[in-house]
Amino acid sequence: MSESYDYLFKFLVIGSAGTGKSSLLNTFIGNKFKEDRCHTIGVEFGSKIVTIGGKSTKLQIWDTAGQERFRSVTRSYYRGAAGALLVYDITSRDSFNALANWLRDARTLASPNIVILLVGNKKDLEEPREVTFTEASQFAQENELMFLETSAKTGENVAEAFLNCSKTILAKIVTGELDPERIGSGIQYGANTSKRLSASKKPARTPSECACRV
Amino acid sequence: MLSEDGMENRHGPPGVNSRSLSAAHSAADLEVLREIEHVYFSPPSEFDAGRYVLEHAPSPLTCQAVEQMFTKLKRQQQVVSGKALHLISQQRDNCDREFAEIQNIREQLAKTLETCRQAREHLRNSSNHLTISTFVILANVRKRQIIRSVLKSLELLRSLRSVERDVAELLNKKEYFEAIELILKSRKAASNHKEYTCIADLATRLQDTLDMTEEKLDSVLASICYNFDEKTFRKLRKAYTLLGKTQAAMEQLHMHYSSAVNETSIEAVKPYVGEISIEMKFQEMCQAVQPTKAPICLLNLCENLFLIMRSYYLLVNWHAKYDEEETVPSTSNVFEIERNVSREYIRQKLKAGLIRIWHDVQAKVSTFLKSSGLEEYPFEKFIQMLGILRKLTQVAEVFCGDKSDILQDFIKTQSVSYIKNYHRGRMEELKLFLENEGWEQCPVKSTFNLLNLQEFKQFKKYINPSKSDTSMVKTLSDGTSSVHSQDDSVYIAKYFNQKTNHTPFEMFRNENITNDDIFGLEPELEPSDESDDEPEELKREFVDEVDRHEYSTTNNNEKVLESPSKVKESVIVTNTTLSVLRNCGQYLQICRYLPQISLEVVMLMNQLFDYYFYTVHLFFTSDLEVASSTLYTTKLSGSLKRISNSIDSNAGDSDTKAFLCPDLPQHLDMASEDSLHGLTERIIAVESVIFLAKQYELLQPYLESIVASHQKLILEHFKDNTLAVVVDLRMPVYMCSASKAVDARSALIAMSQVRWDVKNVAVEHSPYIDMITRKIQVFALRLENIAAKVTLNIEVLNSIWSMVSKFIVHLLVEGFSNATKCSNGGRGLMQLDYRQLFVKLEKISGLKPVPYQDYVDRYVKAYYLPRKGLEEFIRERTEYSNKHLLALITCACENKRDRQALTAIIEGKDVQP
Repeated sequence: MSESYDYLFKFLVIGSAGTGKSSLLNTFIGNKFKEDRCHTIGVEFGSKIVTIGGKSTKLQIWDTAGQERFRSVTRSYYRGAAGALLVYDITSRDSFNALANWLRDARTLASPNIVILLVGNKKDLEEPREVTFTEASQFAQENELMFLETSAKTGENVAEAFLNCSKTILAKIVTGELDPERIGSGIQYGANTSKRLSASKKPARTPSECACRV
Repeated sequence: MLSEDGMENRHGPPGVNSRSLSAAHSAADLEVLREIEHVYFSPPSEFDAGRYVLEHAPSPLTCQAVEQMFTKLKRQQQVVSGKALHLISQQRDNCDREFAEIQNIREQLAKTLETCRQAREHLRNSSNHLTISTFVILANVRKRQIIRSVLKSLELLRSLRSVERDVAELLNKKEYFEAIELILKSRKAASNHKEYTCIADLATRLQDTLDMTEEKLDSVLASICYNFDEKTFRKLRKAYTLLGKTQAAMEQLHMHYSSAVNETSIEAVKPYVGEISIEMKFQEMCQAVQPTKAPICLLNLCENLFLIMRSYYLLVNWHAKYDEEETVPSTSNVFEIERNVSREYIRQKLKAGLIRIWHDVQAKVSTFLKSSGLEEYPFEKFIQMLGILRKLTQVAEVFCGDKSDILQDFIKTQSVSYIKNYHRGRMEELKLFLENEGWEQCPVKSTFNLLNLQEFKQFKKYINPSKSDTSMVKTLSDGTSSVHSQDDSVYIAKYFNQKTNHTPFEMFRNENITNDDIFGLEPELEPSDESDDEPEELKREFVDEVDRHEYSTTNNNEKVLESPSKVKESVIVTNTTLSVLRNCGQYLQICRYLPQISLEVVMLMNQLFDYYFYTVHLFFTSDLEVASSTLYTTKLSGSLKRISNSIDSNAGDSDTKAFLCPDLPQHLDMASEDSLHGLTERIIAVESVIFLAKQYELLQPYLESIVASHQKLILEHFKDNTLAVVVDLRMPVYMCSASKAVDARSALIAMSQVRWDVKNVAVEHSPYIDMITRKIQVFALRLENIAAKVTLNIEVLNSIWSMVSKFIVHLLVEGFSNATKCSNGGRGLMQLDYRQLFVKLEKISGLKPVPYQDYVDRYVKAYYLPRKGLEEFIRERTEYSNKHLLALITCACENKRDRQALTAIIEGKDVQP
């Protein structure tokens, strides 16, 4: 069952509670959409191998809890993420307003180079929309984010969101803007690639320096 | 008379008018007449009057007498002649009249004769005419009859010609019996009219029609396989009986069932295969089924096969009923016997057919499963597949009483391999989780336990966090399982009813179906167990509001915490802990559905624990700078060793069975002194293992109830040797931080600067004690910071402080043993020093008494032991190193020989094993 892939990208899905982060992930990895999903506890995890530009890339996606009380737990997963989907709910102004905080967390905790795609989810609920496409686009532009409106329910733009984000990361690797060899880049070479992340070697267990024998 | 009259008339005067005389004469005449002898009136043929008179001549014959007699006779003759004449004349008119009458009659007769002649003539004529017309009529009648018969034949011919159409019509109306009857009659009619040339042609056509009809019957018979219809079948049977092919039809029907199973299987799978070529075999088709479609495909397959089974089941039932109705025990008739034999044959055939069909079905389903790559299914789909298969086995039990061993075995092996594969995925995920775990405390209620997790919803009634009443659990689970199987069969039997269009598989099409529905488990659960649970707990909203508040305030650095020592119960879990627990819930769900592989699943579940346990140890003791065996209890090292055997630490080929060892995380800061070298993370890690172990223990009674009784030992062993020892993990892990509380090197240097060969006992403790105390105070402060972030309970604190103490006593012994020269005063100083230290430590740590004091106390006091006691000490106190002991001897023994002897003993210890 050894999977082969060229790259492994660590991904985050972040955003306020109830914006549909878990649903996005589940839709992406091929599970059924559940109307009545529970809040995520801590973080959950999903992975999928996709082919981008001829490279098979394993996306290791961490789906974080949006609720404030889990913030400290989820923050510890930010480290070394190569990409992130920053999710808000187009029918919730509050979730949109919180974006700046989430963005700041992501850039400081993960990496300043993290590739972030802004996702306006629940596109299928056109009626009670509270955030317009234009203003979200503007926010994305101002903060140098990519932007898509999606629907986890219908699956619209879900794969695109992950793929576009991955494509950008891959492009940055090609241009040298991102260095996979750097520790905490959130990118690893897979079994297919000859280069290995040298930093992953375990530090040798240091023998007791202490003279005392306990 | 006439003659008498005549005689009388002759008596009278002939020709005289006698009437005038009559009066005179008559009387005399009459007299005369009267005197006439009677004999004279006889007919002349008989009587000869002359003769008579002669004879009667008077005697004596005298002339007179003769004359007298003559006269008398003359007279008599005259009278008679007169009389006769008189009479004749008298009768003459009459005679004439009569004569005329006669003449008249004669004329009439002639006339009549003529009329007769004429009539006859007429009659002859008419008679001639009448005869001819009769013949014509007769001839016509005959003609008519002939024509009629021709017409009948023609009509027959016409009807024969239309037989085909009529039969088709009848068949359309499902009047099979009538159709066959019609054909047979027609055939008979045809054979009766062989004289017509066209009949020969017709006869062959009739045969064709018959053949066609039989084919049609056959196809209807085939359709019976898919949907048994009593009416149709009854008709068919009647038709076949008429054909005399009842038995052949049954054979045929069985063949149809076989092929129906085949065809249905192919048809059921077909829609889910991308590209189909005609030559594709069933197995190849199964292999070509898209994995995402496999469950629905299996469902389709089972459902359609079930329809065939139901049809057959109804057929068998119908026969049983029909036989009961019809079997008349009249063995007298040979024909009847034959029929009974045939019926018995059919009955046997049907009985065997049940098993055969089930085997066919089972083979198809097995083929599908074998080639469908079951292992790769997502969990929910797999459960659903299991549910479908389980239902199928239940169906089989109702169908033919078969326990479906093949399928059961197959399910078991597939389940084991599925669960192993599934487990491999979970282990890989767990590795990833652990490698990425931030070792942050997950905010949960202080009363949190695994039952709050949605995955354990179904187990609430079996798991009691307060009591562990094993017996109750056992009876519960045992009782329910047996009851279910019975209910199930009744439940399944419903679907074998002809009137229903439903199948037991329909439920799987329902999107909202729960696994419990699938397995028919505890239908009463929902209403009964909601007594004490807030619904939000089921929605994983078990985060306590108080905790939340606490959490936010600590963020603001407002320490409004309870003193840690007062916290009895704190729940320290990590994200990964929850994920392990949730996996456990899923594993247990698998157990519920696959009780036969419970042990395997429980073992895998334990492996999750092992891995978590092992990883925490690996991560958080990697920087343990004090190599020591006393930190590890025997059981702990035993347990860790056992686990490490199943973990591939070489990180080499991942094809081996062992699981990869997790890579040490880089993101954890375990070097910073401010954070006490990652003590927060260490505490959370270790306590989360302990919490996890507690949860596993909570599960134990339930687990014991689901495995076979002889397997319980394995679980108990795990409980005693792994779950129970995780508490011991605190020592080595906390020691990592504790051993860095005081910088050993500088402390030792400080101690080496103390003069131990002083004459007088000092009043003031040495300065290094203050240094160590200061370090400890810093440690305490930092620990307090940690306690602000993590809810520490008293056990954790005690454990940490014990390690600090343990480290310090060793540090002290090490420092004391560095003193090459030591006086009594020096020894006293040592005591003064460590006493002082322990007083401080006791105050800071709250430990009463501070543990491990003995270690340093005993070492220091050994100085005062006499030689013998010293020797004993050296021999028995293995906890001190040779270096420590040698230093002790050097200081304690003034006698050189004794010193050498004791040194020899110490050095000899190394040689001995």
